[in-house]
Amino acid sequence: MNNPLRTEQDVLGELSVEARAYLKRVLEIERARLHVTDPDLADDLLEAVKRILT
Amino acid sequence: MRIRSIELTNFRQFAGQQEFSLMGEKDRPVSLIFGANGAGKTNMLNAFTWALYGEMSDDVEYQERMVTDSVWRATASGDFVEVAVELTLDHEGEAYRIRRSIKARKEADDQRAASAGVEMWVIRGDGSSETIEYPQPKIDSILPKRLSRFFFFNGERIEKLVQKHAYAEVRQDIKTLLGLEVVERALSRKHLPAVEKKLSAELRKRGGERAAEIQDRIDQLRDQESGEREELVILTDQLATYTEERDGVEELLRQHQDAAPLQRELDRIKRELDESKTSMNAAGVERDGIVGSKGFLAFTEDLVTRTSAMAVALHERGALPAPLKREFVDKLLVDGTCICGTALTEHTEPFHNVEAWRAKAGLAEVEAVWQKLGGQISEIASARQSVRSSLENAIGRVTSQRDRIHRLEEEDSDVRRQLSDVPLEDVQRLEAKRQDMDSRITDANRKIGSAGTALGKATKEIEQEVNELKNAKVTDELAAKARERLHLVHSVQAALQEILVIRSEDMRNRLDAKVKKVFADITFRPYIPILSQDFSLGLFQDVNGVLLPVPKSTGENQVLSLSFVAAVSELAREISVGRASDGERSADAGVFPIVMDAAFGSLDENYQREVARSLAKMAPQLVVLVSKSQGLGKVLGELSPHLSHIGVIVTHTTLAGEASEHISLEDGEHPYIIAGADADYAELKVIR
Repeated sequence: MNNPLRTEQDVLGELSVEARAYLKRVLEIERARLHVTDPDLADDLLEAVKRILT
Repeated sequence: MRIRSIELTNFRQFAGQQEFSLMGEKDRPVSLIFGANGAGKTNMLNAFTWALYGEMSDDVEYQERMVTDSVWRATASGDFVEVAVELTLDHEGEAYRIRRSIKARKEADDQRAASAGVEMWVIRGDGSSETIEYPQPKIDSILPKRLSRFFFFNGERIEKLVQKHAYAEVRQDIKTLLGLEVVERALSRKHLPAVEKKLSAELRKRGGERAAEIQDRIDQLRDQESGEREELVILTDQLATYTEERDGVEELLRQHQDAAPLQRELDRIKRELDESKTSMNAAGVERDGIVGSKGFLAFTEDLVTRTSAMAVALHERGALPAPLKREFVDKLLVDGTCICGTALTEHTEPFHNVEAWRAKAGLAEVEAVWQKLGGQISEIASARQSVRSSLENAIGRVTSQRDRIHRLEEEDSDVRRQLSDVPLEDVQRLEAKRQDMDSRITDANRKIGSAGTALGKATKEIEQEVNELKNAKVTDELAAKARERLHLVHSVQAALQEILVIRSEDMRNRLDAKVKKVFADITFRPYIPILSQDFSLGLFQDVNGVLLPVPKSTGENQVLSLSFVAAVSELAREISVGRASDGERSADAGVFPIVMDAAFGSLDENYQREVARSLAKMAPQLVVLVSKSQGLGKVLGELSPHLSHIGVIVTHTTLAGEASEHISLEDGEHPYIIAGADADYAELKVIR
């Protein structure tokens, strides 16, 4: 953690395929609601994890 | 987002329907619109933000008078009149039309505030259009309202961007623009931590009691972590506010006739204190470096003495290790057996071979080894002496700077006492306020330190609990599935936290480098802008290797703000291009136009030219609203190679005494002010 030499690619490279897919989906969900003040996205994010690990 | 055109209908001074195209040719992203003072430049700037957000800036007076006065007067009582602004724009591969309008019914001579409605359409390739059901959220998703301050602004007021109290908002805006907010949001309470809680409940329901207990602890720690993080944001903002208030009080003291000499003395002491602290820290680092890398030499005095005595004794005995000693060869010949077991009988070949070695071995080697050893021993002794001198020097500098700091602090207290004793109520009040702010700043710094420590502790404990959860027993397959999902969420949270740190630091470094470059290109003063860890921007000067903050004149604030806007705009674009290649965003997601009124504010001519040059190069689309006196000459010269469109907001005035004016553009004379007109209104005339 917080090693100044580590890059975003290093972090992503250490994730499992499922974790990478979930991270991408999380950012998509968040970005789609970026204009909404204080949204509650727990259900959407939960559904996404269940879709990846069925 | 690129704006293709703007159409105004009875909007403020702009009577009737008037349109201006803004879509530039490639490499010519600039539109330049001239207008006299009061012609409607500020209203034109506000037409963009009104169309997008339904709001105008605070400096627009009589905001209820949306319909052109002359049109309102000509409207019969009871009739309706429409005021509207329509924008067409491109964003992420789609073309949009946005229209905000008011249908106002005339009931009195005075206009009253009326609510506006907004409509929005997607324009298809075949020219057909589709209505967007909820236009405002869509507009906010293209460019959130609070970010618009970076792209639609009045040059004379832009320095507000770099004032410390603005940082709480500006910092968050920058994070949104640079793609950091999306990661921060994912990590906040109602997002991934809420998913953890839901999965934890499922785990408990499925019988994974032990795992659920661990998750409960993780939930508590996450709450604690979020609380500390929020506390840090609040404290950092408070610190910025206190610091700005303290700086403001000091500025007032500098301007006060009776307090100014004492405040100047305090400024000198502060400068010297900063220098001393920097020097003391540098000497301390040097001292620690010497101790860390060569400190062991301090313990070698006895070793050197003993090794030296031992070596002398061995040398005297000729017993120093050498590649081959003569005594050793002699002993083999006397014993009559070689080390390989061969008999060494006189007059035999093996005897002669070994005897030949006797001539090669001997005291020469011993001497050589002796000299080498002696050299090494004396090297250690001299290195020890050199370390001692360097260490004494570094410690001496630490001590002398510490003494100087004590002296300066005493001087500082003394001058502050004198300030408090000045028999003038306003000076005493200012000094009391400064002391109050100083104490709040110290308190805020202390709290920031402890919140940072608590945050680090919570994060570490979460890591430990997450590891424990991986090995916790579960009873059945469904519980195992819930635990597996929890583990996935944990991995993503940990990765996002690290990504946030990496992206924040990367963005800060890149933005800092860009601001430095743009600022250096514009200004001739030896000042250095520095973007701090918390994204606050300060201006510094290098005084004998020490960076000291410089008071910012309005002109420098303006240049700093413009450099900042240009740098943010360019970086947002670069990032979008980078992320588009990863499929995270579309290619033009970070592209935003810059629309500037009073673009060059109170800048002198050199600054105007340099600002024009920098912005033309950095902004993907630039609309500049200027007066004749600001926009012609050097500014027009700099912008010319980048210009696609030129326009004039022609002032039609009923004042007969007012002299009509023309403006020379594109090899022709064009009306600028038309005096003695039938009505007062603005006409947006397209020159190119």
